[in-house]
Amino acid sequence: MTTSTSPTTRGIWRSLRAPLLVGVLLVVAATIGVLLSGGAREARYLDPDDTSLSGGKALAQLLRARGVTVDRVDSVDAALRLSGDRLILVTGNVYHDDMDRLGGDLLIDAGSPYLEDLAPEVRRDLDGARVRSREPECDLPAARAAGSVFLGGSPLSGPGGSVGCYPSPDGPTLLTYAVSGRTVTVVGDMQFMTNMRLDEDGNAALALNLASSKSAVTWLVNPPADEGGPVGGDKSIYDLMSPNVGWGVVMALIALLVTIVWRSRRLGPVVVEKLPVVVRAAESVEGHGGLYRARRARDRAAAALRAGMLARVLPRLGLTVDSGADAVVSAIAVRTGQDPHLVGAALYGPPPADDGALVGLAGYLDHLERQISER
Amino acid sequence: MALTGRAALVAALGIVVVLIAPDPVLAVAGVCLLLAAAIVLDLALAGSVRPLVFHRSGDTVVRLGQTATVDLVVENPGKRRVRGVLRDAWAPSAGAWPRSQAVDVPPGERRRYSVVLTPVRRGDRRSEAVTVRSLGPLGLAARQGGHSSPWSVRVLPPFLSRKHLPSRLARLRELDGQHPALVRGQGTEFDSLREYVAGDDVRSIDWRATARRNDVVVRTWRPERDRRVLIVLDTGRTSAGRVGSAPIPLAGARPAAGAGGGLLIDPGPLPAPGWPRLDWSMDAALLLAALAARAGDRVDFLAYDRSVRAWLSGASKTELLPSLVNVMAPIEAELIEADGPGMVAAVLSRARHRCLVVLLTDLNSASLEEGLMPVLGQLSSRHLLLVAAVSDPRVTAMAGLHGSAEQVYDAAAAERAMADRRRVTARLRRHGVEVVDAVPEEFAPALADAYLALKSQGRL
Repeated sequence: MTTSTSPTTRGIWRSLRAPLLVGVLLVVAATIGVLLSGGAREARYLDPDDTSLSGGKALAQLLRARGVTVDRVDSVDAALRLSGDRLILVTGNVYHDDMDRLGGDLLIDAGSPYLEDLAPEVRRDLDGARVRSREPECDLPAARAAGSVFLGGSPLSGPGGSVGCYPSPDGPTLLTYAVSGRTVTVVGDMQFMTNMRLDEDGNAALALNLASSKSAVTWLVNPPADEGGPVGGDKSIYDLMSPNVGWGVVMALIALLVTIVWRSRRLGPVVVEKLPVVVRAAESVEGHGGLYRARRARDRAAAALRAGMLARVLPRLGLTVDSGADAVVSAIAVRTGQDPHLVGAALYGPPPADDGALVGLAGYLDHLERQISER
Repeated sequence: MALTGRAALVAALGIVVVLIAPDPVLAVAGVCLLLAAAIVLDLALAGSVRPLVFHRSGDTVVRLGQTATVDLVVENPGKRRVRGVLRDAWAPSAGAWPRSQAVDVPPGERRRYSVVLTPVRRGDRRSEAVTVRSLGPLGLAARQGGHSSPWSVRVLPPFLSRKHLPSRLARLRELDGQHPALVRGQGTEFDSLREYVAGDDVRSIDWRATARRNDVVVRTWRPERDRRVLIVLDTGRTSAGRVGSAPIPLAGARPAAGAGGGLLIDPGPLPAPGWPRLDWSMDAALLLAALAARAGDRVDFLAYDRSVRAWLSGASKTELLPSLVNVMAPIEAELIEADGPGMVAAVLSRARHRCLVVLLTDLNSASLEEGLMPVLGQLSSRHLLLVAAVSDPRVTAMAGLHGSAEQVYDAAAAERAMADRRRVTARLRRHGVEVVDAVPEEFAPALADAYLALKSQGRL
């Protein structure tokens, strides 16, 4: 008769509930963490909806509080659809085609790659001035009212009639001029408008003065990252892949999991066995030889070889162990026809001086023994 | 529960589906749900493993080197067919084959499956568990369960030296006087008187009996009978050393691949270890016991290191060999120093009458001089002691190699070991102890010959 050794349902529940509890706790903790972090998103530089330190939401709020309409657009088409007398605010390195179609007043960062298209009259020296607190030192009312501002970036030079403020040694870092009926304002750096810098110096005042020159602001920001824009060359490979690929990877992971479950389930228990030790009986003798070798114990080795040879040879010669050295040497010399001095030195001489001599001694003893046993 | 490769394949095909589906999220969810549903359905429809009943039959003993067959009858009292894989889990050294096999048992029926065992070492081998994996109809998932269906096979010593038994029995008959060429038996017991036939030794004529009758009468002699032989097996550390080359490869005889422990340098071809001294001794003990039983002597057996490992006494002539191999089967060499005085005390307490004590051990000077020599007198004064030991042919071979300095140092160590052995032998002989020292292959016949020699001299 046999008994089943499979676990029962209750046993499975009992062994699984602890890991299950831990898993549930992990999921709950992760969920709470995600909820508390408020959906951490990538910071977007000077975006009117971004509340991070590099965002521009504070400025947008201030503008709206002053009655200025702020419209956030992420494409030129959307900007063109907005009508009315507007200030166009271009922040950071915004990528759009057809930027030159935009009309109206312009407030632009000198770091924008479209500066040549939008304000071809301005020359800039990229990153030529350190960003720091600077004094206005000009007649521009907006700047004079604001006072010192955290500015720098690119020193600028403009056409005749332009007003430069906040000078660095290489030129002003804020430039404003009028061309074909519109006012273009270029700032070397727009960090003073970010949420982080807005409450320092006269930053807020300058930003408001510049941006609220018109009753509405078209705030042009970077297009959404995951939308395949016309400028494909600058997109990463992940943006170009179909969203199916990501889910295909998820499915592959699931398939891997199934494979792991398939391969990891053993057919029955691992049977262990107490095996006897495997040790060769000659190991102790080999170890003894190794010790002789390590200590270069030629005297002991030679003595052992001589004693072994004599023990085998003496009965053949009709001698006993008690026989004197002279009797043994002469008996062997007579039997083998070797020089008695040589035989005596081999059997009773001093231990060999080096390993070569030891090998020679062993060979000679072999030779003697063979001669005696052959006769 | 267990999944199959088919489930993994379905999941892998799901990757393709997800890649081409218009809505990948839905596709992932759909494939997963579909797979899970199929697995659950498969599990529900698979034959249940728990109610299976197993019955065993087959061999319970096997000689080392031979194969045993154990049958396993699987009875399925459940309502569904059990189709899948069965594994009868034996210890690795049982050499069970096949490792797993396909089963298919319809409901209410039983099927017979067999496992062939080729054990690679002595002792009791047990089946630890029977595991059945019952596949569902879709082949995606399986129920798996274990059952305990105990069965044990005792692996006996192989008794390879029994090939020497016929020649030794012939020698025994010669001693016995049953041989046609009747010489005056070298045995020493007077047997009977019978009429003289031509060819009889005239020295065996009993003149007094001849005078009483009209015929010439000779005395017949026979070897002494009903003597006691006590075989003592030393199972201490010296019996674990492996010597010679294994006639039947044992577990661990071949060094496993990668056994070098990650050594970068190959340690070189090491000679494969042979049998432990213990196994050679057992082989010789079995030959001696078989011979002594035929010669009419009583054979007892004792295995001892620091305590009695096995004791067999008073087995009848026909039962002796089977019970002896049975007793010997589970004995393993213990890695402890044998207790010489304890062994002598155990022998003295068990053998009250004079007997031949055959001590199977190693002529290791360190362990013998400390353990046995001081108490040898107690034993040899009351009993006839024969010490038998297996010598190591590798040591002899090492003593003969003088090619390089390393070999000469090894040869010196071997010479020293051999000199120690000679010294111990000489010392034992001075105490009136018989000594048998032979290489593994000749050990059993040498021991049998020593026994026959003692018997012919009437020294038992």
